[in-house]
Amino acid sequence: MSKVATPDASGPLITVDKVNKHFGPAHVLHDVTTHFNAGEVTVILGASGSGKSTLLRMLNRLERHDSGRIVVDGIEVDDDLKHLDALRAEVGMVFQQFNLFPHLTVLENVTLAPRRVRKTPRAQAEVKALELLDRVGLKAHSHKHPFALSGGQQQRVAIARSLAMEPRVLLFDEPTSALDPEMVKEVLDVMKGLAGSGMTMIVVTHEMGFAREVSDRVLFLDKGTVAADAPPEQFFGAQTSDRIRAFLGQISK
Amino acid sequence: MATAAIKVWPASWDRKQRSSATMVTASVVLVLLLWLLAIPLSWAPEPIGNNAQFFAEGTRVTVELTAVAALAGVLIGVLAALGKTSKLPPLRWIASAYIWVIRGTPLLVQVLFVFFALPVIIPALQMSDFTSACVALSFNVGAYNAEAIRAGLLAVPKGQMEAARSLGLSTFYTFIDVTFPQAFKISLPPLVNNIVALLKDSSLAYAIGVVELTNVGNRIQAATFQPLPILLTSASLYLLLTTVMTQFSNAVERRFDVEGRQS
Repeated sequence: MSKVATPDASGPLITVDKVNKHFGPAHVLHDVTTHFNAGEVTVILGASGSGKSTLLRMLNRLERHDSGRIVVDGIEVDDDLKHLDALRAEVGMVFQQFNLFPHLTVLENVTLAPRRVRKTPRAQAEVKALELLDRVGLKAHSHKHPFALSGGQQQRVAIARSLAMEPRVLLFDEPTSALDPEMVKEVLDVMKGLAGSGMTMIVVTHEMGFAREVSDRVLFLDKGTVAADAPPEQFFGAQTSDRIRAFLGQISK
Repeated sequence: MATAAIKVWPASWDRKQRSSATMVTASVVLVLLLWLLAIPLSWAPEPIGNNAQFFAEGTRVTVELTAVAALAGVLIGVLAALGKTSKLPPLRWIASAYIWVIRGTPLLVQVLFVFFALPVIIPALQMSDFTSACVALSFNVGAYNAEAIRAGLLAVPKGQMEAARSLGLSTFYTFIDVTFPQAFKISLPPLVNNIVALLKDSSLAYAIGVVELTNVGNRIQAATFQPLPILLTSASLYLLLTTVMTQFSNAVERRFDVEGRQS
């Protein structure tokens, strides 16, 4: 499974060019231009309402951008259904609320997409799923339904479910925000393991420890613009921006 | 009642085994009932015993009407619910108009309309009394089912669809594998309500001459002038049918109840 990413010679894996987004009168993203490289772990930080989740959700078109351009691994992110299906098979997503399918067992949750989208035979998909569940420490729970698992366990299943599609990039939308404190670590540990295996990850989070330790790059959004883009040592080090110092002060309280 | 049914089966059986056992038993009981009903009825005194065969046939026709209209009605209900929740305005209009007309007019008028008035507009739609009754009942229960299923579709959290789509599932598989099973579970109790009502409403087919249970009772009564035993028999037979049906649908509900809320 561990896909050691080779830096893409032809350019970044994801480019975001002058993207704007409005929700009614609110202008949530302002001419955002950035890119994400293969094999990199990027953490997106920002106050609530800064547009960080919106930016993440636009990368696999759960939100549409009003103007500008997003290209993921050569796929134009637009309304073309062929583009959308190709895009979503390559981009995995882990949600704050886990969003496991409650009527299916853990094993069925993980095998559903490979069987339907990649047409993997059931037996093969199950072998692969059990491997992934083993990797997130939940092989013994494969026959259970999601309601019987704790939040941390559910989130680990959700990660395994995304990995089953062998995505080129994994998006995390506040993956630990809905968890009890004692379960945050088990999920972060799985994410650290993934980062170590070379997975390209873009993570919206408030876990400063994770950002500092694991990320290659911190993107700070403020009022819909990229206010900082720096390696974590620099971002958390001698910070010159008052706005960012204030934000970090708020978080550490 | 649901729990009373469950205790019949060995405690060692799990939820799925018990619900399967109940479904199989209820189906077998229904088939036996339709097949052998005339025998116990013939033991009854006059005017029931001598008309046992007639009652049995009427019961069979009632079950046939209900079964056909229930299946078609669930299908129509799913389509109309999809229409009403569609992004395309014309589909929403068609579905809404259908539900508006059907819910706003009496079933008796609909039954009469399909049988007498439809052939006047389109001569090719001249159908037998039984077929006409099936069509009217299907479209009638379909409109009520549509709202039950729509409620179920709307109750599935948006995150479920987002998760399915972000895994790369097409809209078709998202519906088949993720949205519909969850919506159907939520819709099941009101759907059962509609189908129990349908079983009894099928008696309106009597108006266009279908020889179903109510019609049988009426004909025997006209010949014998003994309303009490005849209406008691008809009512008991309806009650028997709804009881078997409720047992079956309770078992279906338990099968979907993965969280064990009902056990």
